[in-house]
Amino acid sequence: MDFRLNDDQLTLATALDRLADGYREKPIEFHGFALSAEGLDQDLSDAEFFDIATFPDLGPVAAALAVERLARLPYAAETALSMLVRPHLRGGTLPRPFALVENGQAGRFVAQARTLLIRTGETWEIAHPGSGDVTAVETIFAYPMGRLTGSVGRLPLSPAEAATVRRWVRVAIAAEAAGLIQAAIDSTVTHLSDRKQFGRPLGSFQALRHRMAECAVLVGGLHWLALRAAATADDGDAALAAFQAQDCGARVAYELHQMLGAMGMTLEHPLHLWTYRLKGLLSLMGGREAQAGAVGIHCFPSETQRNGHGAG
Amino acid sequence: MDFSWNEEQRVFRQTVRDFLARHLPADWESLAHGPGSASQTAFSRKFCAHLASAGLLIPHWPARWGGRDADPWTAFLLAEEMWAAGEPRGGQYMNVNWIGPTLMRFGTPEQQARHIPPMARGETLWCQGFSEPEAGSDLASLRTRAEPVDGGYRINGQKIWTSYAGEAETCFLLARTAPGKGGISIFLIPMDTPGITVRQIPSVIGEGDIHEVFLDDVWVPADAMLGTEGQGWSIVGAALSLERVGIPRFALAARMLDRAVGKLKRSGAFVGGVPTQAARAKAACDMSRLCAYGIIDRRRHGVPAGPEASAARYATVLAERAVAEFVVEHCPDALAGGDPMLLAHHQRAIVAGIASGAAEIQLNLIATDLLQLPREPR
Repeated sequence: MDFRLNDDQLTLATALDRLADGYREKPIEFHGFALSAEGLDQDLSDAEFFDIATFPDLGPVAAALAVERLARLPYAAETALSMLVRPHLRGGTLPRPFALVENGQAGRFVAQARTLLIRTGETWEIAHPGSGDVTAVETIFAYPMGRLTGSVGRLPLSPAEAATVRRWVRVAIAAEAAGLIQAAIDSTVTHLSDRKQFGRPLGSFQALRHRMAECAVLVGGLHWLALRAAATADDGDAALAAFQAQDCGARVAYELHQMLGAMGMTLEHPLHLWTYRLKGLLSLMGGREAQAGAVGIHCFPSETQRNGHGAG
Repeated sequence: MDFSWNEEQRVFRQTVRDFLARHLPADWESLAHGPGSASQTAFSRKFCAHLASAGLLIPHWPARWGGRDADPWTAFLLAEEMWAAGEPRGGQYMNVNWIGPTLMRFGTPEQQARHIPPMARGETLWCQGFSEPEAGSDLASLRTRAEPVDGGYRINGQKIWTSYAGEAETCFLLARTAPGKGGISIFLIPMDTPGITVRQIPSVIGEGDIHEVFLDDVWVPADAMLGTEGQGWSIVGAALSLERVGIPRFALAARMLDRAVGKLKRSGAFVGGVPTQAARAKAACDMSRLCAYGIIDRRRHGVPAGPEASAARYATVLAERAVAEFVVEHCPDALAGGDPMLLAHHQRAIVAGIASGAAEIQLNLIATDLLQLPREPR
């Protein structure tokens, strides 16, 4: 057990932060939901960040950390599936961006993706769409969203591949949600520190402080659940991390908007760039009840299987 | 970053589990019904002496005091296994976690020689005389007075919510020698000192857990003071920083959740919305575990715990609550005589957010020190 980053991971974090510095602020004139920057994707690609899970001494933990850090930017970029799922599927050779299409619904980055992971019930397929196969759609989810509209050729995933995809999509959801929630909390803290009512900052009122502190505890815990799942590649850890992301994500998104009052209803304030991305994660992989089903299978062994008192 | 245990840690955990298997009686779960009860205290005295003989009571203490300078992970693994088993050390866990180490740091050679060896042998129980009727969360407002008299101090006042006081031999007592935080001093007082009266308070937690302690003209010699006059507040701050992630409550909560889910699965009742609630409780337990591990990792590497220790403490409150609520809703029969350990956990879980400082104090610390929100006006 050692929670320190190794030297390579620390170097990566520094490089990533330097790269991200150019994308930390929402453009003042932007009043929409999905804020993207082609330059960000290109910068990440040029620096080979999408392959870090495969590098010795970096691995999936570094990839999860990168996904978390990049999710804190106001810009939506297709990082989570590319950094955490793609390296584990077919030797990491499939073209990116990746996107997930679940039960025929609109999905994040579907209109940009070169590889689609298609889930229909429990059946998984992949496809490489052409421009005529997908249609961009405007939504309130702060991602570029699209819908698979053509009859693109699909290749089935083997049961083992499907299990791999399920596991790593769950890790990706957790890592991305942890970053989104942390950024949304940071943004809200700024507002609560600056905005004064009744002659003092909102953030000095205990009714708000305690709720914010609870949000901080939840995201701190989610951070560790996500990193542990990336490190262990365990199906139970992955399901639990994704469950927590979706379970606390719903609560925190609403809570933080409440903290901002009417300012949180505007598209001028950046909060929605994180919270409405977070909302886009809540239904993935069947939502929290489906994750709970997986937790029930993988995390609760029968007592006869246990050795001793079970704190291990 | 590594989330696995090394070979030495795996072997140590198994050693502790083997010890528990050999030394816990078959009816242990029925016995573990009141952490401060006379029966558990009597059992704990024998159990801790065995632990000490096996080198498993104080492995993290310095060799000078009978330990082997083991790292903080060893101490925490030991604490996890003990708490998961229902804490057979009883109140002696406090000696191991913070009273002993605090005396090593602040005690005189005479105090150390008198008090530490019995702790290291697992022979003695202490209680913590902190809270008072008018000083709970606002501990610094305590009123118990210690007035200098010939050769020592005369102490008058009242303590309340004092765990283990009915069976303890010694009290780690806070009393006021002058106004303000800088006027708080610590006294190490035998509980059989004339003038001390202990009254048990019946509680939902279980037998013998909380007490009132009355101090009427209690004379103590000057050498009963730990540190110097007025040093009490800073000593307690250092001591409680060891205690903030001291009890791995998640370990028993997770074990009881496993047990409850096992019962529900076997009876075909793990259906509908139950798995979602179970997952919520499981996530709370694992978040509590990992947040605590984050603090132990810092301790291991000599990094101050910081406000994350308060977050870890609050995560524990969430875990205890989630499991307690899950069990009371889905396994009510276990609490009605069906499973004494599930009952014991349920009774103890309510303590998580109250003992060692209210959860709301932790939330304030998180808001100010972790989130950097503006302070409340005072």
